Amino acid sequence: MDPLHVATFTGYVYPNETVIPWSVLIVVYPYLTGLVAGAFTVSSLYQVFGMQRFKPVAHFALLTSLCFMLFVPVPLLLHLGHPERAFNSTITPHLTSAMAIFGYAAGFYLCLLVLETWFAFRPHIVRESQRKGPLRWFFRALTLGSDDLSENAMRYDRKWIFALAVIGIPAAHGLHGYVGFVFGSLKSREWWSSDLMPVVFLFSAIISGVALLIVLYVASCKLRKIEIDLPCLKGMAYTLWGFAMLTLVLEGLEFANIVYKGREGIDTIMEYVTGRLVIPFFVIQFAVGAVIPILALSFMIWRGTTGRALVAGVTASACLVLMSVFMMRWNVVIGGQEIAKTGKGLLDYHLLIFHREGLVAALSVVAAPFVLLLLMTRLFPPWVIEAETLTHA
Amino acid sequence: MKLQRDLSSAARREFLGKLGLAAGCAGTVAAGVGALGAVQEAEAKTDGGASFPTPDYDWTKHRWGYGVDATKCIGCLRCVEACKKENHVAGDAHHFRTWVERYVYLEGEDKPRIDSQQDPVNIAASGSEKEYRFANRYKDAKVEKAFFVPKLCNHCTHPACVQVCPTGATYKTKDGVVLIDHTYCIGCQYCVQACPYGARFFNDVEHVTDKCTWCYHRITKGLQPACVEICPVGARVFGDLNDKQSPISLFIRNNRVQVLKPETGNAPNVYYVGIDKEVN
Amino acid sequence: MPRHIARLIALIVVFGALALLAKWYFTVDSFYEYGHYRANSVPEIAAQAPVFQTPRYCQPCHAERVALWSANSHKTVICEVCHGPAQGHPANGKLPIPTDTKKLCTLCHEAMPGRPRAQPQIDVARHAGDQQCIACHNPHAPKIVAAAAQVAGDAAAGKKRAGACAGCHGAQGVSASDTWPNLAGQNAAYLAKILGAYKSGDQKDMVMTPMAQGLGDADVQNLAAHFAGLSCAAARNESSAADVAAGKALAKNCAACHGETGVATNPAWPKLAGQKAGYLANALKAFRAGLRRDPTMAGVSRGLSDADIANLAAYFSAQSCAPAPGGRAP
Repeated sequence: MDPLHVATFTGYVYPNETVIPWSVLIVVYPYLTGLVAGAFTVSSLYQVFGMQRFKPVAHFALLTSLCFMLFVPVPLLLHLGHPERAFNSTITPHLTSAMAIFGYAAGFYLCLLVLETWFAFRPHIVRESQRKGPLRWFFRALTLGSDDLSENAMRYDRKWIFALAVIGIPAAHGLHGYVGFVFGSLKSREWWSSDLMPVVFLFSAIISGVALLIVLYVASCKLRKIEIDLPCLKGMAYTLWGFAMLTLVLEGLEFANIVYKGREGIDTIMEYVTGRLVIPFFVIQFAVGAVIPILALSFMIWRGTTGRALVAGVTASACLVLMSVFMMRWNVVIGGQEIAKTGKGLLDYHLLIFHREGLVAALSVVAAPFVLLLLMTRLFPPWVIEAETLTHA
Repeated sequence: MKLQRDLSSAARREFLGKLGLAAGCAGTVAAGVGALGAVQEAEAKTDGGASFPTPDYDWTKHRWGYGVDATKCIGCLRCVEACKKENHVAGDAHHFRTWVERYVYLEGEDKPRIDSQQDPVNIAASGSEKEYRFANRYKDAKVEKAFFVPKLCNHCTHPACVQVCPTGATYKTKDGVVLIDHTYCIGCQYCVQACPYGARFFNDVEHVTDKCTWCYHRITKGLQPACVEICPVGARVFGDLNDKQSPISLFIRNNRVQVLKPETGNAPNVYYVGIDKEVN
Repeated sequence: MPRHIARLIALIVVFGALALLAKWYFTVDSFYEYGHYRANSVPEIAAQAPVFQTPRYCQPCHAERVALWSANSHKTVICEVCHGPAQGHPANGKLPIPTDTKKLCTLCHEAMPGRPRAQPQIDVARHAGDQQCIACHNPHAPKIVAAAAQVAGDAAAGKKRAGACAGCHGAQGVSASDTWPNLAGQNAAYLAKILGAYKSGDQKDMVMTPMAQGLGDADVQNLAAHFAGLSCAAARNESSAADVAAGKALAKNCAACHGETGVATNPAWPKLAGQKAGYLANALKAFRAGLRRDPTMAGVSRGLSDADIANLAAYFSAQSCAPAPGGRAP
């Protein structure tokens, strides 16, 4: 046994607890899922609720969602003892298991995203399939042998996009609420066992996705050297602001519940929270990652900030929110496991660097969707579609 | 029904075969009877006509239970060592199918000092992670109360671990034992998280979850679990709850027993005598 | 309906059908047979071979040892506790015979807070120091019960022979000197044993050796019977300067054989109560130095300091030699 793999402890912990079962990869997994759900929210605000100001990012949001969704299973597969048996949970899904159902929910949602993206980019696919070039056959396969872009066909497509988006909203949010349920439904850990957990996960997912889109959108505009659409950015900032407050309230409520109910083991939890968790929990997750962005956004909304100041302020807030949500995932997943099930001891998770479940692997999994997104925007440029639909409308 | 049970499966097949042959004269009727026979045989299998899981052991006839008398335990840790050998568990300080906790209340202290064989001080006393011994660390202290508590999988009636397993790799048998199918487990460790008792661990060799089976390979052969067999003071009791005179039935009837963490609703099947409020 | 929609729906249907087919094809044998698991895994787990074999397995070849073991106090400690699992034995070779018994036996018998009272426990350093347990104890019959020789002597005949002893041990078996032992009321079996030892040369003493060598076997028996029959009530010792209370604490380690107050429960062992303190101290020092040979006493005396010995001697000499109430008469 690799001694680095083993957690040191204080107080009394069950002997088997010194091997922390869920590593940093299981922190990355709900983080990625959350980004998917959040990005999809922005896309559906345009597709379903017809909020025109989100048009410049609607397709980009969809693409972002898809790219991140494709990597959601990766941290799980890397974590499994037998990744080659992963399909056992879909072949014989155990219906009482949150994780088995998650497999189906994630699979369903991935199909839905693929379909929606396909419909959204179909005019582009058809056009590319008719152009000469090395990727012609790739696009030709994607057309399913039909280059029908008639008004009738497009009407059908719009209907499908709308329907898929309507199904997608509960699917995306259900999916992420479900991730919260994976933790919240476990009665073995006081830190997890909470009815609020799914809701907390859901709202933090939305803010992380919106924040991600803000950062990506601003970055893409800088890269393409085009002007940032300020109403669109403002719209995303409002969304972020509103949901961030909700998230903060919910997270605060959840923590208050644990403290106020003060069930068995609360002494150890308080020792942990007021000790090792002060910086990651109170300082990073709450103060820096939630309160400061909310105050900054409120200030900008109040003062009607615009122009470069708005872009800088909103982007900075979004970055802080992205960090805060990651820390929230960390504090839940790792934090929960650092508080021993005995209620009488604390463990200390050691993050390995070069390991199948180490830091490098986790960073690679987080970076991979960005690389894929870069490739995808080359194959399916979301900006062209934006311009095109604008002229269509 | 009795007749049916008396017939061995071979004899039954023969009987059905003859029946089929006789009916064969009637042409098409034969096929129908043959199909009926096949259906009947399939039913007989699940009805417990044939003994399962082994020819000598029928799991519908047993319901196992386990008792721990903490007033008898001397903390010698022979059970821990025997379990490791019997079940080929990794010989380190982080993987245990069973373990023993020591609770020591010192004069002037509210909370007990708790350690298990895993504690570095105890490993230092044994000289190796592969050997187990409680260090005599409270020899010169003013001890108000002290006792040892053996722990193991509770084989709960409503096991949280089985509930969360995504594949069905862990399950509850008809005779009341929670087992793990090592060839089907994907190694997600959700069950490790779900167990409130810390009874499960990850097997680094097979890359699957592992835990106590009450030595299912022994109890189905009429033996006791290795820890029960080895315990020199009778602190561990095992038996069939269906048999009113079994050691476990007597243990439960003659003592005021309790279970660990009853509030979880898991309904454990390991019954304790002689533990106090700090044990969970 | 546009062609791409129709094709898409067809694709979804095919995908669904493939998924169902895959589920059917990849569902392993016997899954769902008894529940949501692979039924065949149950017999697979049940088929594992037991590692520990139980004493029934050992009995046919080691009948004698098993008989001894099962008749004695370690009968609840099965063979494999000390010798390890018997799977593969004897085909794969011998099972270990533990050599470091001090490490092994103390797993259960080291006095430790938390161990129930009923468990026999020792303070390792005081009980035997670094001595291995098997020096005195047979692990298959661990209780030390020295076989008490039956003394069938004639006390009257002994009395006639006792004149030679009176010079040192007193006419009534109560010694006049602090360094010579009282004999009155001592266990007959012990007296016979010790006199026999002087006679055979197992134990040597400048005065006792020649005297004992002049005795016949019958004389030894008669003398033992005579002195054992005398009353020890006359034996009175002056209080000594040593710490009796400290001696009492130490005496717990002697209690198993010599009784709590020095009235031995087994006639094979000497009574210490009311014995001369100087004699007791000398005897202990002789055991400690190896001049008197006894494996048990060598072990227990090893850890004692001169002060400990003085305290112990003071304690035992101050006790009444009458049998403890309720105690077994010698």
